[in-house]
Amino acid sequence: MRGAHRLSVWCFGGIALFFGTAAPDSGFAQESVAVRAVMVKGGVPGEDPSAAAWNTVPVSEFPLSPQVHWAPRIGEVTAKSVKVRAMHDGQRMAVMLEYADPSEDPDDAAALEFMIGDKKAHFAHGQPMAQVEGGPVNIWYWKNKDAKVLDMNAKGFGTLKAQSQQDVTGKGVYQNGTWKVVFTRSLTTGDVDHDTQFKPGEFINIAFAIWDGKKLESGDLKEKGSQKAVSSWWYFRAEPPPDYSAYLYAALAVGLAAVFQFVIIRKLRKGRST
Amino acid sequence: MKRKGRALKGGALLSPAILIVGMYLFLKFVLPLFTAPLPASLIFLYLALTVTGILIFNTLSGGSMEAFFGPIFRFLSGDGQAGPMKVARLLVLILFPLLVGWQTYASTAPSDHPPAENRTIHPAPPGEFVGLSNPVPNTPENVMMGKGLFAAFCSPCHGNFDGMGPAAKGFTPPPANFVDPGTIAQLQESYVFWRIKNGGVGLPIEGMPWKSAMPRWEVELKDEQIWKIIMGEYDGAHQKPRTWE
Ligand code: HEC
Repeated sequence: MRGAHRLSVWCFGGIALFFGTAAPDSGFAQESVAVRAVMVKGGVPGEDPSAAAWNTVPVSEFPLSPQVHWAPRIGEVTAKSVKVRAMHDGQRMAVMLEYADPSEDPDDAAALEFMIGDKKAHFAHGQPMAQVEGGPVNIWYWKNKDAKVLDMNAKGFGTLKAQSQQDVTGKGVYQNGTWKVVFTRSLTTGDVDHDTQFKPGEFINIAFAIWDGKKLESGDLKEKGSQKAVSSWWYFRAEPPPDYSAYLYAALAVGLAAVFQFVIIRKLRKGRST
Repeated sequence: MKRKGRALKGGALLSPAILIVGMYLFLKFVLPLFTAPLPASLIFLYLALTVTGILIFNTLSGGSMEAFFGPIFRFLSGDGQAGPMKVARLLVLILFPLLVGWQTYASTAPSDHPPAENRTIHPAPPGEFVGLSNPVPNTPENVMMGKGLFAAFCSPCHGNFDGMGPAAKGFTPPPANFVDPGTIAQLQESYVFWRIKNGGVGLPIEGMPWKSAMPRWEVELKDEQIWKIIMGEYDGAHQKPRTWE
């Protein structure tokens, strides 16, 4: 009986172990590393930051730094972090930034930045890298007083330029010390050299920038140009449509294993009785 | 006599069990002390290899065949079982297909995680930055000047040598913590000179230069200033540069 007891311990140990190691990785749960644009039915809600659809979308939050990577720098900025929501419907996508700013000013501004295609680009305006051939970045720049979003490109400092073909629309709404700025575009465009293409399921890079355009006593703006709040690259993904094939394969595997088991045991029993 | 025989057969299963559990503990807890934690799929693969090895070993060494497989076959066929053994057998028969199903699900379910980041923190420097020595004499005044420059240019990100400056939070990877023995204490001055002069954008592809916020200081600082900063940096972080014995 003792041998049998050990045997059952061994079996259960083995099973527990298999389940333990098979548990999916959960390495990225602690903090936001990615914006997840969930897939919605019936269209994204245009440029309206107060649309009810935004309440059902998961929120990611990313810390921002004063831009001290290149001159002219800034030591302290208004926006310390930015909350990001996003969604898409298979055709169009929308990203909403939400951040605190004590005053609404004409020069308040915010931007998203993406890499384009497979070429890596440095988060600081796609500045050249010594040993890696970099690509351009696509920048979507919203400014309060312009009441629109500019679709831009840069490849190195001082090369920022608006595209001739503008594909991005957007709108900012200021309320109770908070800016909510929505950017919308179609997931794909015809211009793969200048526009980031969003393929559902694929992780791409995203970075953020925010300017507090408050006018100081001196007449200068508090933040402008390279003096802004920034992040380096994080991830963005348009979620793929639900895919149930993994459940199907799992069910099939359960069936096969059960049949396999049944056959083996029958064979064992036959072997014993003869 | 019979009793003893049974106990022995159980024993034949005990050492493989210990081996597998030991292997698991090693992969899960001991190895990560030296490398990055292993992904679950890799642990599973190694355990599967261990199990296969044990099976092959027992199949080849003919004498232990019956000792090893006998109890397993008897258990599975369920002949003359009663009580807890019967329940155990039933559980195994139910759990095995479920386990296979779970494994299949785990390996075919689409991944929800960003691509794994395998950034090399200390990639090889370009040839011209190998073996340079600090041309600035190590005097208290020079160290002081280096610390002053560090406070002016580097502390917004690297803080008080600890990587926790007021501008550190928005950047991934985070600014290096020089007090940590894993950064400048591992490096020669020549290497540190390269990193400061050429910055994040000077890294080779395995260092993921597109992510680094480390500025390219050759744009703003003279070589002599950089060498002084290096002295101030080691002194402030209470570290010594690595030298080749
Ligand atoms: C804008 C923020 C920022 C500033 C300012 C900055 N650094 Fe860095 N530094 C970083 C980041 C981020 C890293 C880590 C990524 C990397 O290695 O490129 C880093 C890495 C380094 C490393 C490499 C350490 C290692 O173990 O590989 C050194 C050396 C260094 N910095 C020195 C300096 C010095 C000296 C200054 C001032 C002259 C400075 N940094 C200013 C952000 C900054």
